[in-house]
Amino acid sequence: MNTIRIWFTKTGEASYISLLDLQRVMHRCLKRSGLPVWYTMGFNPHIYLTFACPLPLGQESLTECVDCKTEQETPDFEAWKQALNSVMPLGIVITKVEKAGLKAEHIGFARYTVTSRDERMAGALQEYNALPSAIVQKKSKRGMKEIDLKQHIPEIHAEACAEGCRFTLLLPASDTLNLNPALLLKFVEEHYAIPAVNSDVLRTEFLAKNGEKFC
Amino acid sequence: MFTPKLKEALDHVQKPGRYTGGEPGCVIKDKSKVDVRMAFCFPDTYEVGMSFLGEKILYDILNQHENWWCERVFMPWTDMKAEMERLHMPLYALESKDPVREFDIVGFTLQYELSYTNILAMLELSGIPFYSKDRDENDPLVIAGGPCVCNGEPVAPFFDVMQLGEGENMLQSICAEVEKAKKEHLPRKELLLRLAKIPGVYIPAFYDVSYLPDGRIEKIRPNEPGIPAVVTKDILKDMNSYEPPRRFVVPMVGAVQDRASVEVLRGCVRGCRFCQAGFLYRPMRERSPELLDSAAHDLCRNTGYDEISLSSLSTSDHSGLEEILDRMNTWAEGEHVSLSLPSLRVDNFSESLIEKTNRVRKSGLTFAPEAGTQRLRDVINKNVTWEEIERTCTIAFRSGYTSVKLYFMMGLPTETMEDIEGIAETAQRVVNLYYSLPDKPKGKSVQVTISVACFVPKPDTPFQFCPQDTKEMLEAKQKHLLESVHSKKIKVNYHASDTSYLEAVFAKGDRRLAPVILDAYRHGCYFDGWEEHFKYAEWLECFDRAGLDPQFYSRRVIGLDEVTPWSHLDYGVSHDYLVREYQKAMQGVTTRPCNRACSGCGANHLLGGPCFEYDQNLVH
Repeated sequence: MNTIRIWFTKTGEASYISLLDLQRVMHRCLKRSGLPVWYTMGFNPHIYLTFACPLPLGQESLTECVDCKTEQETPDFEAWKQALNSVMPLGIVITKVEKAGLKAEHIGFARYTVTSRDERMAGALQEYNALPSAIVQKKSKRGMKEIDLKQHIPEIHAEACAEGCRFTLLLPASDTLNLNPALLLKFVEEHYAIPAVNSDVLRTEFLAKNGEKFC
Repeated sequence: MFTPKLKEALDHVQKPGRYTGGEPGCVIKDKSKVDVRMAFCFPDTYEVGMSFLGEKILYDILNQHENWWCERVFMPWTDMKAEMERLHMPLYALESKDPVREFDIVGFTLQYELSYTNILAMLELSGIPFYSKDRDENDPLVIAGGPCVCNGEPVAPFFDVMQLGEGENMLQSICAEVEKAKKEHLPRKELLLRLAKIPGVYIPAFYDVSYLPDGRIEKIRPNEPGIPAVVTKDILKDMNSYEPPRRFVVPMVGAVQDRASVEVLRGCVRGCRFCQAGFLYRPMRERSPELLDSAAHDLCRNTGYDEISLSSLSTSDHSGLEEILDRMNTWAEGEHVSLSLPSLRVDNFSESLIEKTNRVRKSGLTFAPEAGTQRLRDVINKNVTWEEIERTCTIAFRSGYTSVKLYFMMGLPTETMEDIEGIAETAQRVVNLYYSLPDKPKGKSVQVTISVACFVPKPDTPFQFCPQDTKEMLEAKQKHLLESVHSKKIKVNYHASDTSYLEAVFAKGDRRLAPVILDAYRHGCYFDGWEEHFKYAEWLECFDRAGLDPQFYSRRVIGLDEVTPWSHLDYGVSHDYLVREYQKAMQGVTTRPCNRACSGCGANHLLGGPCFEYDQNLVH
């Protein structure tokens, strides 16, 4: 049995598919592709699927992944990629199919590009950089938790771009701590009155806990 | 495509996936290469509309024409409607995200009377004038189809074109005429005159309605030369001549009916006198097992669905049902697909049917005796006996089912409190039956759920002449039913009668109701079919302002010789037949299913010959 990792984009229309819906969408797309994926052996057999680090609704990504299994000994990954790309919804493009390496729990960080259409953003970020601390409330399974964003994002360097300005963030994305750019955008909305909806978030990369590329 | 405005709106609403499109199976075309664009509008939410098979059929047929593009539009939920209004975003189609107003044809399906206000909401969000008379050459052609067109008179003034009957041929003919008209730069009125020649097409503006002093209709007359006095519905004579769709748009946000589905037959042989669909879709026509099997197989492969439903008004009446199931069972299990039959009847339910439909969970079974006593079942021609219910439930319990849902109606013609007690008794007898079986599922209790709907008399049925029970009568019956149930194993569900009342008014209403519907919409009524949004008091005020009594439509006995608002709309079943059936109902005399013996309803004229070969016994 081989575990297969399918890498895909989740942009445009597809950025509004929730994790729960994405599971069903992937299930049906894999079924449609006719690829020899492994079904669980239970009373109600279904395709084994594991998603890593789900993305909030409305954010886009170039680097999502899902694992499935196959009894094929030497899968033709290029053929898998083509078969899958012919059945995907708009906004999901399969970028790579490979034998899974590290397990999803080894993901430690994720990189994001944030694009703001608000001309006030660059100024707000300069003020943010000068702050000693930036406390936000984060919802967790055990109620609300206070987080100081400055500990994780000490400084932000924004570049001007066609839409307004753009910056990248490297944030913890592990099973013990997962911070999303939405926390920063909420902070900016609350303190500088820049609506969070004026910024788009794009996830570009996962890093393992040791800081190397996750694959 | 995804403008910042749209993103902002989606950021503020529940389930944004309803408004994005892009699902597997959706059709995207290059609009510069398209001659006719149609927006197929479903006047309810995405989840409801994406469950509707008719839209999938027509979407598939139209998009097979390379130079036509049919796209989908649904009614935005209240939060999205508010966002669109706040951001001045016009209603758009899901595929291209282009404004509906830019389309050539804007088509609505009329599935339910209480979605009429949603049509107005969608027109307003699109920026299209409400009334047909206020539209000009720059506006899309606004058309309607679906069962409520059989008396679409309350909304007729809002439509340029209405379609009677089945859309497979008709809608293609309409698109072809629109394509020609665009090339010829034909004036709108000339186009309408051409469309009126297509079988089944009804142009409301070409008919004048006059009223008697008491509010009844005096006459309905065409006001243009060459327009027929009566429009007859269009049907597919041969169901095998049109393949069921082999691909669907597969919703990503869960639809109510989120599974593959093939239509095994159209129409129904049963002739239950309350059932509008049973008369509207006559005559019954089947598809061949071979075609159904191949279409079903392709559909499952093309969608990735793991469940397929064999749908129709009465699937177990298909003469080749066992063959269909046998064929499908050769591949279904191996491809992880389960088969389901949505509308089983108590009178031809068998062990072999249960075996052949491998439902995953053996928990629930639904039957519809519709009335609690044999007398009333004879009146409504629901030819089901207690012995059949007993036989069916015995089979079901022995196969492991432990819960049964029984559907009934309340407020049926000639109904008395005895019939209401009969509902509770029927349920109690099912409970007793369960405990009397030595081979019932071990250690499990039984649950019988009674669901009681309020009867709404509908046009084109033998009960169109009958008045609807008042709210007070229905409430007294509901109370009596609750008092008649004595077991904790029996659960009773029923609905408030207010929505059924309005449904009855629109079902039998006339054109004078159009301004009332618009007035109600302007006073905040929409999503009337959703109980939490139904504003009953507001509606009553709107009728008051218009000087119309809703009870005139719902409570009045219609004379057997009266001109009804729908008397110029012919669905194949003759008026004489409805009168005969009404009289038989009042005498408690039943009519046999039409595959057993033809009762002369008149619908065979649509086929040009008999509906069945009567030397064969088609009922098993």
